Parts: sequence; structure tokens; C-alpha cells
Amino acid sequence: MTAIRKSGRYDAVIVGGGHNGLVCAAYLARAGRKVLVLERRHVLGGAAVTEELYPGFQFSVCSYVVSLFRPSIIRELELARHGLEIIPLETAFTPRLGDRGLCRWSDPARTRREISRFSPRDAEIHPEFSLAMTKMARYVRNLIDSPAPDPTSWNPVELWRLLRLGRELQRQGSDGVAMHLRLLTMSAVDFLDRWFESEVLKAPMSVSGIIGTFLGVRSPGTAYVLLHHYMGEIDGAFRSWGYSKGGTGGVSLACARAAESFGAEIRTESAVERIRVAAGRATGVVLANGDEIEAGTIVSSCDPRLTFLGLVGSKHLDGDFVRQIERYKLRGSSGKVNLAVDRLPRFPGREGSDFLRGDIAIAPGIDYLERAYDQAKYGEFSERPYINAVIPSIMDPSVAPPGQHVISMFVQYAPYDIKEGADNWPAKREAFGDAVVDTLAEYCPGLKESILYRQVLTPWDMEQEFGLSEGNIFHGELSLEQLLFQRPAAGWARYRTPIRNLWMCGSGTHPGGGLMGAPGQLAAQAMLNSNGKPSSG
Amino acid sequence: MTERYDIVVIGAGHNGLTAATLLAEKGRRVLVVEARDTVGGLAAGAEFHPGYRHAGILDDTRLVRPWVVDELGLDRFGLRRREPTDLLVPETGGQGLVLATTVKGSEGLSANDAESLAGYQAFLDRIAPGFAGLLDRPPIDLVDTGAGDLLRLGLAGLRLRRLGRHDLMEFLRVVPMPVADWLGEWFASDLLKAALAGPAIYSTYSGPRSPGTNANLLFSAARSEDPVAGGAPALIGAIERAARARGVEIRTGVAVTRLVIEAGRVRGIELAGGECVATGSVAASCDPRQLFLDLLPPAALALSLEAELLSFRTRGTAAKVHLALSGYPQFSSRPGRLFEQVRTGEALDELERAFDAAKYRRFSERPVLDIRFPSIETPELAPDGHHVASILVSFAPYELAGGWTESAREGLYRAVLAVLDEYAPGIERLIVGREVLTPADLAERYRLSQGHLFHGEHALDQLLIRPTPQCSKYATPLAGLYLCGSGSHPGGGLTCAPGALAAQAIRSNDM
Amino acid sequence: MPLPSPFHSRTSARCRSLLWKDWAGYHAVRSYRSCHEPEYFALRHAAGLIDVTPLFKYEVRGPDAAAFLAHVTVRDITRLSVGRVTYLCWCDGEGKVVDDGTVARLDEEHFRVTAAEPTLSWFERRTRGYRVTIEDSTPRLGALALQGPNSREILRRTTDADIDALKFFRVAQARLDGVEVFISRTGYTGDLGYEIWVEAAGSLTGAERVYDALEDAGRSFGLLPAGLDAMDVTRVEAGFIMNGVDYFSAHHCLTEMRKSSPYELGLGWTVKLERDPFVGQAALEREKRAGSRRAFVGLDVSWADLERVFAGYGLPPELSSTAWRDGRPVYDHDGRWIGQATSGAWSPTLKKNLALAQLESAFATPGEAVEIELTAEYRRHRIAATVIRAPFFNPPRKRA
Repeated sequence: MTAIRKSGRYDAVIVGGGHNGLVCAAYLARAGRKVLVLERRHVLGGAAVTEELYPGFQFSVCSYVVSLFRPSIIRELELARHGLEIIPLETAFTPRLGDRGLCRWSDPARTRREISRFSPRDAEIHPEFSLAMTKMARYVRNLIDSPAPDPTSWNPVELWRLLRLGRELQRQGSDGVAMHLRLLTMSAVDFLDRWFESEVLKAPMSVSGIIGTFLGVRSPGTAYVLLHHYMGEIDGAFRSWGYSKGGTGGVSLACARAAESFGAEIRTESAVERIRVAAGRATGVVLANGDEIEAGTIVSSCDPRLTFLGLVGSKHLDGDFVRQIERYKLRGSSGKVNLAVDRLPRFPGREGSDFLRGDIAIAPGIDYLERAYDQAKYGEFSERPYINAVIPSIMDPSVAPPGQHVISMFVQYAPYDIKEGADNWPAKREAFGDAVVDTLAEYCPGLKESILYRQVLTPWDMEQEFGLSEGNIFHGELSLEQLLFQRPAAGWARYRTPIRNLWMCGSGTHPGGGLMGAPGQLAAQAMLNSNGKPSSG
Repeated sequence: MTERYDIVVIGAGHNGLTAATLLAEKGRRVLVVEARDTVGGLAAGAEFHPGYRHAGILDDTRLVRPWVVDELGLDRFGLRRREPTDLLVPETGGQGLVLATTVKGSEGLSANDAESLAGYQAFLDRIAPGFAGLLDRPPIDLVDTGAGDLLRLGLAGLRLRRLGRHDLMEFLRVVPMPVADWLGEWFASDLLKAALAGPAIYSTYSGPRSPGTNANLLFSAARSEDPVAGGAPALIGAIERAARARGVEIRTGVAVTRLVIEAGRVRGIELAGGECVATGSVAASCDPRQLFLDLLPPAALALSLEAELLSFRTRGTAAKVHLALSGYPQFSSRPGRLFEQVRTGEALDELERAFDAAKYRRFSERPVLDIRFPSIETPELAPDGHHVASILVSFAPYELAGGWTESAREGLYRAVLAVLDEYAPGIERLIVGREVLTPADLAERYRLSQGHLFHGEHALDQLLIRPTPQCSKYATPLAGLYLCGSGSHPGGGLTCAPGALAAQAIRSNDM
Repeated sequence: MPLPSPFHSRTSARCRSLLWKDWAGYHAVRSYRSCHEPEYFALRHAAGLIDVTPLFKYEVRGPDAAAFLAHVTVRDITRLSVGRVTYLCWCDGEGKVVDDGTVARLDEEHFRVTAAEPTLSWFERRTRGYRVTIEDSTPRLGALALQGPNSREILRRTTDADIDALKFFRVAQARLDGVEVFISRTGYTGDLGYEIWVEAAGSLTGAERVYDALEDAGRSFGLLPAGLDAMDVTRVEAGFIMNGVDYFSAHHCLTEMRKSSPYELGLGWTVKLERDPFVGQAALEREKRAGSRRAFVGLDVSWADLERVFAGYGLPPELSSTAWRDGRPVYDHDGRWIGQATSGAWSPTLKKNLALAQLESAFATPGEAVEIELTAEYRRHRIAATVIRAPFFNPPRKRA
């Protein structure tokens, strides 16, 4: 690895101690590089962080479930040895007013019985659907676990990769190819309409297509994310969705410990003010306190806008690239509301807490979800939003005092650009929090009385607190034109940047956001494989 | 039954007639059967009020492909192109825009937008050949790729690659985008963005914020030619003359009730009244859902094909309003001038809100209108000094909550009128007659599934695989049965390309 | 949790072993005592009463019901007369088996279909153009299988129907202890036997009355309640295949290799090709012409070889008394893999070690010598087996 030269004290400085930065650091350190990670906040983890916001309650402040964290990272970095414990989610509950709602269980037979209460046909087709999706997911995994193919390159290696991807696709037969095209281009609802009749099932299934996007469930291009639910089955990680024990920060901490075990150095409360560039090369970073640190390689795990327009500065970049980054869509669309409650929420029609050992989706219908989206389009938060809530303290009692609980709610839509302007979010923050609590309380009477503490995070807060531009949790929308070889910019999808010795390793690179760790891993591999040429990837 | 015809074409619309004409060679006997009393289908003009005729339900003749015109030899049958006319984009309390074919000829643009528009059109001009190339050739079968397909995929790739890496990247980036985002990258003016976005969402189940709508924009932009003089009826007239000159027999007023299938082969068609016409080949320009689901015995249809057809999306979202006017209305943005084309929608959000209604099975409270006055070019369509307005109304969903009752139809008309009155105050006083065609009316009158004017939605997935994987190259799993209408590649609109490409496919299959 | 069947009050009171399993979403008894053998011998020598409620049941009604069923299954159901039952399978569009079951014609326009898996949507997706309705009657119908040589005697004493006149694969309406039932002379044991279909509604339900009446009458005829373990041995003896064990529904197969055609499952005799189009017809015609890759056979596994292998470890042959259903590879003489045995059992009646297998077609001739894998003392062995015809057990009284 000649790209990371031994100049100054560090081979590589990584800007940002989120999970991708830490994964990248661990891989580089494991390969013998001298690595320094700089985190602005007092805690590690970035958006994958646990904080005790209220005495005795551990909150997964932003990211709240582990979804597609790459099993290869867990194995290669020995994260289990470094303290990572993942508790799989067992249920997916969709309450309905005046009804017991729908609960999907990890036991398929039980799920089938639940679905057949609403539609025997859907219950019958559900396994067929799962099978078809599993087939598709096997192919998509190839794309996630390797750098993005580049269809515009003449490089024989690239052409060969494309050909191989094409061949593999064809091997799935004509149905498989058609299904991939459809998954890529259709809306989640249109795609599900091909299979199912009951909205009780379709609505909660469709929302996986909109998480973190500024799209509705009827917007084309949202179908692909449906596959993510099936990735875990083939990942070797039995049931991919889970809680990290002690809170989501546990993932980051395990990565940090792994990195440290390989000799990486990690500093918190070390905000990077800018990346120093001289003659088209990154030479080091300047901290907020004025310190300067030199390194052969600088790696940014921040989002592309913050990296290039903030830390680097457009004067070091050519106009065309700046334009690409400027038009890169970040448009945050979600908020978080975290609650500490003194008792377990109660959902009429169901006893006990069996059905709460997973996530709770407030998604009572397609039109409901579309209305939520429509409000966001015109600059308002949804009065009746889609909510994905989890109560991790049921399965992991370590995060709350006995008998008390943490409720972590992901809320969509909360557009960054409200019509009053993003800076006016603080004035609307509590109104937004009220709307969320009111919504959940409709399904969960007594909720309001049980609340001990409430934290409301708007997209504006996420930008301020976590450095997520426009509060986008994925460092950029996962829309078709911002994926694969175009993430974050055409020609710059291989973790390199137009600045020599500056690399990217965050969610704004392929394969994108979510608690996957793949960008950090793939970026480290790219750096380690690079022959030092600063050309585009 | 003895075979009197080598091939029977179902439907005498622009695609059916095109296919029939191109098939009628080497002594092939071709019959076209049309259920309606006139030829032309959606391109046919009709009298909608005594003394007033419209010039086709589909009336954008700029889409007609030049190579099809050449193959049909339509210039010998009187087809002429003419200069495109200006488009008025009216504005409440403002002068609006006038868009001409050149930036220079346009009015009301800011200096910045004018410059951007030039850059935008230059980009479209650069990608047009490659893009049109994809659309003017048989579809590349992405699903069941044979050697020929691979070769053509490679060639298509090469043609696109000729764009240069930068434009190619840009092309790949912009195709799946929402039209709103892409236009937002170019322009500042809401009015301009809305005007350009309109055609990308007409007849779709999308608003400008829906991903994939940009493909529709590029589609029409990359294929825009000069319009046909005399409009759609002139186009139909020319093709009909070409067809008859080649010996095509055309029977109108005869509906096909079913196809006769034996052992997986087409043997003939049965007409209303019981008459059977024996033939070994049938090319259907009707919409594929109707063909397969209504004209075929259910058992003859493969399970997978039936499932595919049932999920082929044909949600009609456009209505058509025809007005008989005692004079040309005064548009207050540009009083005193006559525009053949007027397009409403002052901002992308207005278009988006218009679409929102469709999602909830309502028509737009403030619909978006694409208005043409064909009587300016063809005064014979109306009495002296009088005019005809032909209005494409978005959005009016086929599946309207409560159904398309008489009062729903009236409500839609009132909504259209309210928008018209805003831009052309007092227009109501000029209206001497009207016709409101809801998607339900279009479905019935023109035999369209859910009233969809393109025989199937233009969404990326349905453009790439049209209409189903098994039928995407005009041939169907039933021997001798072919598709040749808008439900096939490259889709709906007055391109005549599906008919011509189907004819190629049928000829090469050596009937 | 699995649901109780309409006979649950009775079966649960008698199930001392607490050996239950989830059968298609219902609680089902594996064996009433810790050893199922008495139940097996009751089925073969006296009579057994099995709760088969979990089978999926569909009522297909309408003027086109027969044409519809002929279209979705491999049999020409239009030729099935009223009062008759037939066994068949249905395929996907590529001619691969989706499920197998029976169809009974209850009257001109009313058929009852049984299936191992939910099939409502699959059937409904094909109804376009047919005047039929399909009702999932699984939740409202209880079903009991009364099987064994004494089953006729027991029914004679409990119903008003002319049981002697009820021929093999016929169905009749009857009253049993005053309760309206359908009785079909069908079953999954390969012996004389009946299945009784009863509405599950009511308080002291008709279902419970039927159960009690049969049990009372059966007391003098050696009737025992029997569970799935005993039935499993009998079905292997009878050579009946089972969905999910001997083959996988085409709907659940991730790969083509896993799917099976009717010909490959020994169900070729149910396929009637020359008729109006039906689902999978073209593919089945092709396969019929070209020949099938595989064939379904019975295997008689050599006892002598078994003894020899175990003797090598100083052990007597160890055989489970229950049927096995973990697939085992089958080889030719050169050790080349030629297919798999999918289930098998020691037959206490025939004193044979039997297996059902899918082999390459070339090995399907009765008498063909093959080898099957056997694990003894944690080590793998190949022992001799001979291809034989199923059913292995086929007493004349079954049809008499």
C-alpha cells in the first residue's frame, strides 16, 4: 500500500468516529498502518451511538437497530471478542385501531396464521414471495459486498465484472431478470400489488422502501429496499435485524476496540475544522483547537457535502465536481423521538409483550403513508407520520431500570426543509414530538402518562449534533441515480476523491447508508489495494 | 375455413394501419378489422358537437417517427410536416412564457434560464441520437438475451458510449430521476420547470417528484420532430391511403369477439355476429390486456402470462375535454395573440398536487391542462371564426372514488373550467358545446383498459419490459399471434413505431 | 400457537404421551402413548381412528366446476361421476408438481378438494373465465380417518348409510349418531378404510358426537385412536408419497433441480394429456415425449447386508420403529450417486426394510440392484437394495 505513505506521525487520519470510520480504521490498522481516528463528539459512534440521556436509561439515540451489518466484518475484526452482542428481533407488529393488528413472527407458521386473519390468499402467497425475494437477495449481495461496477469504463477488468454480473443475473432465468428490473424501477406498493391484496400486510412491508428517502411508498424506485429484509437469511447471520446489546453504540464500541487492538489511536472531542490541501494533495487535518496533524492519507467518513464543501473547500476542487456534490441530494426526511417510560406500553387486543419483541410499525394503510409523504413534499412534518418504534429494554433489560422501558421511535416524514426554513426547526421541535407521541398514543392508550423523559431529534438537530448534512441518516438519498457507480458522484464511486491522498469511507459511498459497515470495509480494502495512482476509480 | 388472409390486423389505429401497410407486400393478403365505425382509433378526428370536430384524442404529431414515414412512403400520400408553433404558458397576474423551438424565439425567460435552456437543449440534442436509437429499434430483450440481443445491446452501448464518458454518465444518472429534480438542476423559473415537466407526467401515475418521470421527458424530447400538417387526422388519412394503395382491406364496424386457437396456434378470428375469418396470423394493435384477457379462451393462456398481464399497470389518469368555442379566448397573459398550444401549471408543486388527488382516487381540484386549438391550423374543424379546444386533463383517475357518475363528470368539467377562466376570463361565454371524456368514457369508447391512452403506463419497468417478458418482442407464446400496438415497445403516443417494429418482427418470423 | 381441531377435546384427553406436532397449523398427536406400535397394529389388524382435520379442504362449486378442476389439475375431472373420489396432483405452468390430494364429486356442481398445503389463492388465480366459486372449508370441516380391517364393521353400526355398497374411492352422505356427515372410502394407510367429514360447528359439537359414536362402536372391534407416527409407517407400506418429504412443492423450491414432475413421482398414471388445455400440459407433453430424468421407485433394503454391517461392530441391526424421512443417497454399483431415498420404514407386517426413492430413470426397473447409504456406529456404509414396485402392502380387502 504505497498510497498511505509513512509521512508524519500517522499513515492515515480518519475524520469521524462513526461505525464506518471505525471499521475502516480497524482494517487499516490490522494491515499494519498507523491510524488515528478523530471524533468531534465526546462519544464514539456517530449516528450509531448509545447515550444515557436520562439517569438509568441507555438510548440508541439515532440508529436503533442493526440491520445489514456485514457478517464478514464481524468475523474478520472478531467483533464478538470485542464485545459485540446482537439480539435478533423476533417480531414485526403493526397495530390497528379497533383491531388486534398484524404481528409477523420469526415463526413462519405463526405469521401465516396472523396474515390469514386478513387474507388467506396473502398468507398462502407469503412464502412464495419470500422465496422469490431470497433468490433476488442472493444476487444483490454481490453488489453490496464488492465495489460498485462501472458501466462507463473501458477497463477490461470492469467490463469483465459487468459481464459476470450480467451472466449471473441471466442464470436466474427470465423471471429473475424481469424481477430485478422491476425491483429497481417500481414503487414498493406497485411491486407488492403484484403479490398481495391486503393493505394490512402491504403497508408495513412497503415502508422498508422509504426509510431515509424523500419518497413515498408509491414512488418508483422504492421497491428495491424490500430485498434488504431478505438479505439476512443468506448472510449467514441468522435474522439480520437485531439490537446491539446495551444499545447501538455497542457496534461502534466493538469496532473501536477492534481498531485499538490492532494499534489504532482514537481521540474524541477532536473536531476536524478542515482538511489541509496543498497542490491538489491532502496533507493533514486542522483541528478546531488549531492543532494540525499530518498524515499520508486522510480518510473522511463524513458525508460528501460536509467533506468536500465543508472540510476541503470548493476552491480546491474543479467546478464540475463541485457542481456534482452540490446537486447530490441529501434532503433528510426523518426524525427520532426517544422516550423513557415507567411501564410497558399496552396495545388493546393483545396481552403481554411477546408481540413487542421486535419493531412496531405505525403504518395502517397505503393512503396513510402517502398522506404523510404529501405533507413532507410541501414542507411540513407529517401530522400522522409513519413510525417505527422499538422497545429494546424488553429483550435487553440492561438499558433501563427494572420494569421501566426505553422506546426508540424512527419517524418519517420530517423534512429538513420545512417551509419556514430549516433554521426554524427548533421552534417546531416539540410540536413535532407531540405529533409523534399523539400518533403512537392512539394505538397505545396510557402512553402519555407513562413518559418520564422525551428526546426529540429533528433533521436539523441531526445536522447540528451529528454532522449529518440536512439530517440525512444515509449521507445522501438512496435513489437510483445516487447508487452504485454514481455514489457519491459519477466517476468517484471507488472511495477515491479528486484530491490526492484524500479518501472517503462513509455512507455517502457505495453501497450506501445503514448500519452495514460495508463502505468502511470496502474503502479500507480499496486503499490497501491501491497502487498509489490518484486517478479516478 | 379457408384462409382468405395471410394476416389479420386487429384495430385500425395509427399502429394497426402502419403494421398492416408494411405487411402488405410480396402478395400478402392483409385485412384490418376495426370495431369502431371509423379508422384512426385515438388519432381519429370526430365531430363532438354539431359543426365542430376535434383532431384526435392523441394529437401530438411531433412524435411520428421519420423512418416510419419513410418506410410507409407517406410523403407520396400527402403527408407534410409544418413548422412547430409557439406554446403559451400562462401565468396568473403575469405575462407567462412563450416557448418557441429556439431559445431566441421564446419570450419571458430570465437571462439565466435562457442560457440554461440553451444548455439543456444542447444536452438533449447530444443524447437524442443514442436514445432515439434505442427506441427506433426492436427492444433489446434484457430478460431472455440471445446472441442477437447481446450484439445489439453491445451496439446500443457503443452508440451511447459515443456520447463520451461524461455525457454517458450523465445520461445514466438522469434517466431514472424525478423530472422535478433534474429540471431543478437547470432552471430557476417555476413556470418554465412546470411547462417542461408537463408532458413527462401526462397519462402517467406519477407526479413530477416521482422517480423515473425524467425518462418520459427524455422520451418525448429526444424524438421531437416537426408536427404533421393537418394534425392526427391528416396522418391517419395518409396511412390509410398508403394501406389501400398496397391492397390492404379495411373493414370498420366489426368487433372481434374472440380468437380461434387450436393447439397453441392462431387459426382465425370470430367477429361479432358470428362470422369467422380464417387466418394463420393475427397482429393485434388493441391493448394487450384486452387482447389476452378478453379475446382468448382462458385455458389458452399460460399461467405466468396471465399473471403478468393482470399486473401490467393501466391506470388511466387523463381525461379529455373538447370545447366548441364561438371565438378564440383571450389569455390575459398574452392578450390578442392566437396560440395553438397552451399549457397550464405554474409550478412543479401544482403538478404534484394535481397528481396527489389521483392517489386518493379523486380528480385534481385544480387540474393541469394541455390545450390545443387545432382550428387555428385547420379552420374547417369549426364554423367560420369559431374554434375548437382540445384539452388533455390531468389528473382524473379511472378508479374514481364513488365512480364516474354524471355529477363527477360535471365536477371535473367545472374544475377544468375554473382553471381556464383564471387564464382566459370569460371563456365560458364562448363555449357553445362541449364533450367531456372521462377515463371511463375513453375506456368504453376506445376499448382501452382503464381508459389508458398508452395501452399501459409509461413507467420505467413497463418501458423496459413491455408488456410482459414473454411478449416483449411482438411475438407471443401463441404461434401466429403478434402484438403491434402501444402496449408494445416503444410505447404509446403517435409514434407509429410499435406498428412498424412489429411488422419487421412479423416479417422476419416468416409467416 | 397451533389451533385445536374440532376433536381436540377427545384427542387431548387420550394423548397420554404429550407427543404432539404442528400439522399445518393444528395440534396433531404423533402417538397417544410413548410407543406408537399398538396404534400401528390396530390399523393393520383391527381399526384406528386418526384426526386428519389439518388437511386443507376446498369446496369448488359452480356450473364450470368440473371444467375448472380439469384445467388446474392433471386429471380430466369432467369424467368423474357424482359420488366418486379420485386421487391426483396439480402442477405449475412448467409441469412441476405443486401438491397432491383428492377430489370428490359431491354433486354435479360441487367438488371437494383436499390438499397438503394452502391452495386457495393458487386455484383462484386460475378461475378467470370459469363460473366457479372456491371456499376454504378447512376451518369448518373436521375430518377423521377410520382405517383398518374392522373399519367397515364399526361404520355399519354407527351410520344409516349402506356401507357395504360404498365402494373403493366413493363418497356418500350419511347420518352418524344423528349428525350429517360425508363418508368417503379413502385413506392414507393402504388398507380398507374410510374418511368421515363433519361440520365443526355447535357446542357439544357434531364432531365430538361423531368421535364418541365411532369410539363406542369400535370398542368391541379393537379400535384405538392412532397418531401420525403409526400412520406414517402405514403410508410407507402403502407407497404413498408425501408433500414436503418425498417431494417439494414447486412453489417452495429455490432451484429447478428440487422440483419434480408427476412422472418423476410415479404419478404419471394420474395425468391425462389428450384433452382441453390444462396447467402444465405443454411441459408434460414434452416430458412424456422426451422421457423423464428420474423415476419414483420402491426399495427393498437388504436385511442380510444390514445385519452384516452391524455385525462388523459386534451389534445386532438397529432399526427405528418409526418411519424415517431424512433423505439418504442412493448409488449404483460403482458408487455413482443416482438419486435419493426420501422416506422409509421397517414394515412389521411385511418384515421388510422399505424405502421410497427417486432414482435416475435407467435404474427404475424392478429387480435393479442399487445401494443405499446407511450410517452405523457413526460411519457411513453402502448396503444393497433392490428396486421393487410400490405399493408394498396392498391387501385385497382395500378394494373389496
